[in-house]
Amino acid sequence: MLELMDVRHEYDGRVVLHLERFAVPPGAAIAVVGPNGSGKSTLLRLLALLERPTHGRVLLDGAVVTAGGAARRRVTLVEQRPILFRATVRENLEFGLQVRGIRRAEVNRRVENVAARLGITPLLSRRRHELSDGEVQRVAVARALALEPDVLLLDEPASSADRAAALSLYRALADERARRPLAVCLASHQLEDAYRWADDVRALADGRLSPVTPENLFRVELMAAASGDLKHACVGTVEIAAMTDRTGPAILAVPPTDIFVSREPLASSARNTFQGRVTGLARRGPGGGGGAVHVTADVGVELIAVVTEEAVRDLGLVPGSPVVFSFKASAVRVF
Amino acid sequence: MDFLAEGFRRALALLVSGDAEVYGIALLTLRIGVIATVLACGLGIPLGFVLATRPFWGRRAALTVVNTALAFPTVVLGLLLYGLLSRRGPLGAAGWLYTWQAIALGDVLLALPIAAALAAAAVHGVDPRIRRTAETLGAGRWRTAWTVAREARFALAAVITTAFGHVVAEIGSAMTVGGNIRGQTRTLTTAVALYTSQGDFGLALALGLILLLLALLVNVALQALQGRGHA
Repeated sequence: MLELMDVRHEYDGRVVLHLERFAVPPGAAIAVVGPNGSGKSTLLRLLALLERPTHGRVLLDGAVVTAGGAARRRVTLVEQRPILFRATVRENLEFGLQVRGIRRAEVNRRVENVAARLGITPLLSRRRHELSDGEVQRVAVARALALEPDVLLLDEPASSADRAAALSLYRALADERARRPLAVCLASHQLEDAYRWADDVRALADGRLSPVTPENLFRVELMAAASGDLKHACVGTVEIAAMTDRTGPAILAVPPTDIFVSREPLASSARNTFQGRVTGLARRGPGGGGGAVHVTADVGVELIAVVTEEAVRDLGLVPGSPVVFSFKASAVRVF
Repeated sequence: MDFLAEGFRRALALLVSGDAEVYGIALLTLRIGVIATVLACGLGIPLGFVLATRPFWGRRAALTVVNTALAFPTVVLGLLLYGLLSRRGPLGAAGWLYTWQAIALGDVLLALPIAAALAAAAVHGVDPRIRRTAETLGAGRWRTAWTVAREARFALAAVITTAFGHVVAEIGSAMTVGGNIRGQTRTLTTAVALYTSQGDFGLALALGLILLLLALLVNVALQALQGRGHA
């Protein structure tokens, strides 16, 4: 088990991460979601033992570890924009294995094996400038998986890949976890992927684990109201109304269970009513069951609502179908 | 114009005939140049690595000192070295004054900050993700440093070329601590200065051509090495 305990991390005196506890149990599939600048990448670098927290401890199997050392060989990070060494893809895949002093025959076996699993065998003799961004990302994931780490950390693993490549990457990760015990912790801003893939979705906002569910978090600038506490904030191409006495920079959270989903606009007291199209439906949990469905819609901004399986059936919701999301201004949480 | 043409003719004749004095001076310059470059780069490149990668108290001041040393006048360097190596100086017992070792020492002191400053810039220019990637793949400190150096190898090759170029072209310190003694401490630059002042333009030009040839050969060799590397 990899854990951060009472961690506070600062850059130039500014606190960028403040966590009482963040644990990655063996074999877990964790997704960390949050807006840009919420501390996701910093969290992964601390877990990868690449940086030492300003305050607090990192523990591996209950023992305190410091940056570097043998513990680092059990945890591997693939960065958001991974970089390959100035060498062939094969030499890149061999790097970590050679560092560990693994015999040549075993190095070759592992490289061939992981390349086949990730579908990069034809790329093995290519050099980094001959690869697309998506191919670099796949090679970087293969390079990490070749080491057979206990914990794999992925920072926005699908950011450079198209949809098909992203799904293939997630499939490869699922296959890897089915093959051997492997804990994966990935940072993503794509909630749909997070829910489809992870068993445990956690939200970060301003360097802290968010007390609300991680969906629909937005970093905004709240405009001052002429009177009262009804404030408006621009998010994407829409304007969200929220009840708050705050103005200026803030994080808005719209709980998915507080969003009404309909096919037509409702005559109601909801101050927020947005029309758009369904972009995805995800059944939460490893089995995809449980009755709750996460409906993702593009309504000028990506919003997620949680509804029942029956509601999805009754409304005939499928990807591409028109939909209306409504929620009250008082349902919007402001941080 | 005639004397220029005559100079070139004389220079070519000296080079083709394998004139012992000309080639003796060239070989001494090459020996001093290689030794001084190896020592300066051997110390300066790791120093540049430390300056570029290890945070420590006074790092900024150390970088300023190194960068300032780049512009240190070689005559002043020679003067200080003369003070140190002269019989009454603290290093006088070594008996190095007016020896090729004194010239090499001056060249090392001249090229060391060049190697350190340029190596620091070369390493600083390597994408920081390279170091993080090597570390997360399990590389220790030395393997990580080696990986970063491999990424910067073209720039580091340029560091060596620049250091060698400065060393073989240096005259101020070589003249002061070497004394320009025939057959012992006469290098290409000091000899060119001497023969020009004596009016032996052909000999000076022949030595100047060899100096250019040396610089050319080192650059060609490094370019050939770089050509074998790939992106």
